[in-house]
Amino acid sequence: MQVNLKIFRYNTEKGGKFSYDTYTLEAEPTDRVLDLLEYVRNYHDGTLAFRRSCAHGVCGSDAMRINGVNRLACKVLVKDLNTTQITVEPLLGLKVIKDMVVDMEPFFEHYRSVLPYFINDEPAPEDGRERLQSPEARERFDDTTKCILCAACTTSCPPFWSDGTYVGPAAIVNAHRFIFDDRDRAAEQRLKILNEQMGVWRCRTSFNCTEACPRDIKVTQAIAEVKRAITTGRVD
Amino acid sequence: MAATTTRRVDIPQNYETISWKWMRYSGILMIPLVWVHVILQDVIVGVHAMDAAYVASRWGVLFWQVYDILLLGFTFAHGVNGLRQVLRDYIHRPDYLRWINIGLLIFWAVISFIGAFAIVNATNSVLFQ
Repeated sequence: MQVNLKIFRYNTEKGGKFSYDTYTLEAEPTDRVLDLLEYVRNYHDGTLAFRRSCAHGVCGSDAMRINGVNRLACKVLVKDLNTTQITVEPLLGLKVIKDMVVDMEPFFEHYRSVLPYFINDEPAPEDGRERLQSPEARERFDDTTKCILCAACTTSCPPFWSDGTYVGPAAIVNAHRFIFDDRDRAAEQRLKILNEQMGVWRCRTSFNCTEACPRDIKVTQAIAEVKRAITTGRVD
Repeated sequence: MAATTTRRVDIPQNYETISWKWMRYSGILMIPLVWVHVILQDVIVGVHAMDAAYVASRWGVLFWQVYDILLLGFTFAHGVNGLRQVLRDYIHRPDYLRWINIGLLIFWAVISFIGAFAIVNATNSVLFQ
């Protein structure tokens, strides 16, 4: 089958206006959008810039807007799009460096702000091996452990588009992962951070994040659980 | 080993927490207030049967005066708080936002006061004589 691939082009170093390049390509229905981009870069224009690493939906490098929706280019097949017109653009809300490559630093700054790591200063168990946890307690935060930090959720969030100082869904998801871990001892600290003006209260429950997540994390639900923990003072 | 545990956390309530709760609680309160209003005015009485005499008889009763003042105050506050969230998208400077919050609060108070004043004093108006 033939597809028309329209690609967003911009180069910060050259400045000027952004533009679109369009290529007509032969593709298999089972080709991924990433395959099409690779083809263009290899055979048409070596200056095309996009991130990719594992190409199997695990590393989260190739998040981009495909036909207006945030997706991982490596997880979207041509046949999934139900059209031969494919438009590929960079994520919204982050500064474009070149083509599909955006500056991820603001995203990671928000991620770091919620202390996304295990905190427990209590002495380790007697045997010195590990802090055991019941399967039920582990299940409590299982969903939010799946985040791959691709930024698809945060950059699909309308409040984040309007104000990049909002901490964003991905940071809240990663805070949730530790807040609801019963071995961790810094839930209160994280909840205080998320109770600030640019924390969870900027969320308007538009569910864009949940729809955008390539790992099917129930992002909006996780945010609601954090809101509930703040308002009730209970983490359960 | 225990299943999931409940831990207590002490999170101070701030302006954002209170305004978020306000939207939810006022929303819940608006459900009976608005539905009773709509069913009574538009279904039972009907818009064509509503005239000055009907309004005068309704606002002559303390219960309906309080009811309508509550309906006005809660729905308008709910809407103004929503407007505050929308404006927050376009205005980022903290000092501007502070003045906007104060302005919206005054806006809500003035309009609600005028509405409440009209409801309480309507029956004294020449329109209802």
